[in-house]
Parts: sequence; structure tokens; C-alpha cells
Amino acid sequence: MDFNYIIETFNKTLMGVPVTLSIMVVALLLSFFPALFLALGQIYQVRGVKTFSVLYLAFIRATPPILLILFFYSLFPSLLNQFFKNIGSSIDVFSLNPIYYAFIIYSLMTTGTLSEILRSALLTVDKGQLEAAQAIGLTVRQAYIRIVFPQALRFALPNICNLVINIVKGTSLVFVMTIKDITAIARVEASYGYQYFESYLVIFILYLMICGLIQLGFGILEKKWSFA
Amino acid sequence: MVNYDISKVFEALPVIWQALPMTLLVLFLTTFIGSILGIFLAWAQLSGDKVLDYLARGYIFTLRCTPPIVLLFMIFYGVPTFLKWWLGFDINGWPKLIFVLLTMVLLFSTLISEVFRSSYLAIPKGQEEAGLSIGLTPMQTFIRILAPQAFRIALPNITTAVLNLMRDAALAYTIGFVDVLGAGNLLISRNLGNYSLETYTAVALIYWSVALVLSVLAHLLEKVLSVEVSDGF
Repeated sequence: MDFNYIIETFNKTLMGVPVTLSIMVVALLLSFFPALFLALGQIYQVRGVKTFSVLYLAFIRATPPILLILFFYSLFPSLLNQFFKNIGSSIDVFSLNPIYYAFIIYSLMTTGTLSEILRSALLTVDKGQLEAAQAIGLTVRQAYIRIVFPQALRFALPNICNLVINIVKGTSLVFVMTIKDITAIARVEASYGYQYFESYLVIFILYLMICGLIQLGFGILEKKWSFA
Repeated sequence: MVNYDISKVFEALPVIWQALPMTLLVLFLTTFIGSILGIFLAWAQLSGDKVLDYLARGYIFTLRCTPPIVLLFMIFYGVPTFLKWWLGFDINGWPKLIFVLLTMVLLFSTLISEVFRSSYLAIPKGQEEAGLSIGLTPMQTFIRILAPQAFRIALPNITTAVLNLMRDAALAYTIGFVDVLGAGNLLISRNLGNYSLETYTAVALIYWSVALVLSVLAHLLEKVLSVEVSDGF
């Protein structure tokens, strides 16, 4: 064990933390509204939404994330290139930061799970709450935003915590797309001096710290909101 | 648009198909060994022993936070070095299957132990008391009364866990293990990087059929088990 190397690698892999976290945050933000739409559509039994959600979930459940990434990473660049050429734009797709592809792919993967989480959370809020809110003169939209969502969110927190941890773990695959996240940096460092085990041990600890902090954060939120 | 030749999908299918036994082998062995480890983990948490409980929870927390690919690399590069340093054992020639299995068993056991634990807790306490009161030993009560009921409750979650395992196991190609995805990648490099979309489609088709068969089997099993119950009452 080379402790200098371990500390040095730790500092270097820290540079990957913002990349990992930004993919997580963007994926959550981008998938929130589609997921909400799917959840509400299922609750209100909008025609087609239920079938679509079931198929979509089955698709996500049965496809390895790494395969999705490999597939879309072979598809997107050439597809976009063709598209920009056709509309006569001079944007060079291949110089685009691959992190944008990661945003799209991880949002696609998150939407299914998030819609299930939101649906079960919305169903736990008693129907009387919505009716009471409407009875005092709130519109449906106001009732949802001020009364139903805050209550549902509190119930959804543990599941969202799980989801966030899963996305953070899942982003470790973006090295396939040449994005410099935590795992990618560790891989490069490892192949420099053939110190594979040390490198992966370092990021193992780093991921443990990130997850611990995420769980701690959600724990505090849960405690704070349980009195509300 | 992008070139996409559907006939290449059908050309790739039989080649990749040959690697399916490897994927299935990993799935079956991991489910089997992981479940045994999972039972121990669930038991450690439920036994009431504080030390065992903390150990099991620490283990589950640690593995829940570890990306599968990081664990796979750590085991692939770490275990041979460690064994050589500790026991003077050289396992560099061992098949990659061992490392894949070890990783997947560790990951799967945490998932499945949570499933077992929650399904055990879902059984009403009266069942155990009734079993004991008619003179069964605790072991008999568990095997004849509690375990069958817990299994039925756990079945949908077991299916989810096995599907999760299948998705994680696809990572094994990164250490050069030739499972379905590994065979697909080999085929792509044999074609000098061409037809990657078609090959990945074929790989996806195989994964989907495995998932479909698993889900249908679980669904049938669920039906069989629920019929048994309605007969009993």
C-alpha cells in the first residue's frame, strides 16, 4: 500500500465529484415533470398513459444501464450530426461535451422509477385533503401545489433518497462516454502506475462518503418535515 | 438518417445467443448463493443480537453505497493481490467467472436480505405463536408455517431483485468476461466497429427475452401459490 499515492489519487478523484453530482441533479430535474405527468396520468386514468408507463417501466427494468449507454452513445452523435447537416447548421457535434448525452440517458432511466415513487406518494394523501382544499375555494392547481404535494413529498422522501443514491452509483458508468467523473479519473490514475486496487479503494471510500452525506441530508430533511 | 440494417440484427443474434448460458449461469449461481448469504443477513438483523445487527447493517450500508462497477474492479484487481500476499496463493489464472460471481453475490445478498426481512416481518405474529402452541419446534414452525408464507409475500420483490442482478451482471464485460454483452462487444470489434447499433439491439433483445421469461415464470408461480392457499381455507 502506497499511502502517498492514495492521498494524491483521492485529491484527483475529488475533481470528479461535481461531474457526478451534476449528472444526478440534472437527471432529477429533467425527469421530474415527465414523471409527475406519468404519475398524475395514471392516477386520473388518462387513456394511453397507463399502457405507456407499464411498457416504459418494463423496458427500463429489463435493459442493463450499460447497454442503454453504449447504444445511445453510438446513436446520438451520428444522428445529431446528420440532423445539423440537414438544417445547414455548422455546429460540430463531435466537439460537443459528452456530458449532455449523459444528462439525456440518465433522465430517461430516472423517469420510470421517479413516476412510480410520485404515484405511490400521491396515493397516500387522503382524498379528503384535495376536497377540503377545493371546498375553501382553492383551484385544483393551487390545491395540488399547496396542499397535496407538500404532504406527498414528505412521504416520498425515503424513496427519493434511495433513488438519488442509485443515480449516483449509476453515474459510475459514464466513463464509457469519456466523461471525467469519479470512476473515470480513478481508471486513468490506475492505469498510469498499475495501482488498480489502490485507485478503486480510494473511490470506494469516496462513494461511501457521498452516500453517507446524502443519507444524512435526507435524514435531517425528514426530521424537519415530520413536525410540519 | 443513420444507417440501420435490420438484417444485421438477425445475423448478430445467433452469435450472441451462444453466450447466453454464461449469463444464465451467473444469474442462477448468484441467486442461489446470494440467497443463502441473504438469509444469514436477514437473520442477523432479526436475531435481536446487537453486535450481529450492527455488523449486518454496516455491511448492507457499505454495499448499498458501492457502485457495482467499482466493486467489480476492486475484487478483480484486489483479491488476487490480497491472496498472494496473505496465503502466497496465485489465482491469476482463475476464470473470470469467479470474480464476477463474487461481486454479484455480495451485491445480490444485500438486496435479497432486505426482501427476506420485510416479508418475514409482514407475517402476523399470531402465525408463529399458533405454530408453537400446537407443539411444533421453532425450527419446524419456521420451515412449515412462516417460510412458505414469507416466500409468497416476497416473490414479486425477488423477481425485481433478480432483474436488478441481471442488469448489474451485464457489467462483467468490462473485465473481459464473455456474457451476452461481452459477446456483443466482441462481435462489434470483429466487425471493426461497424454495425454497433444493430449488435446492441440484438443484445437488448436477448436481455428482454430473459427478463420476460423470468417475469412470466414468477407470475405463474405466484398464481400456483395463491391457489394453494385458497384450497386450504
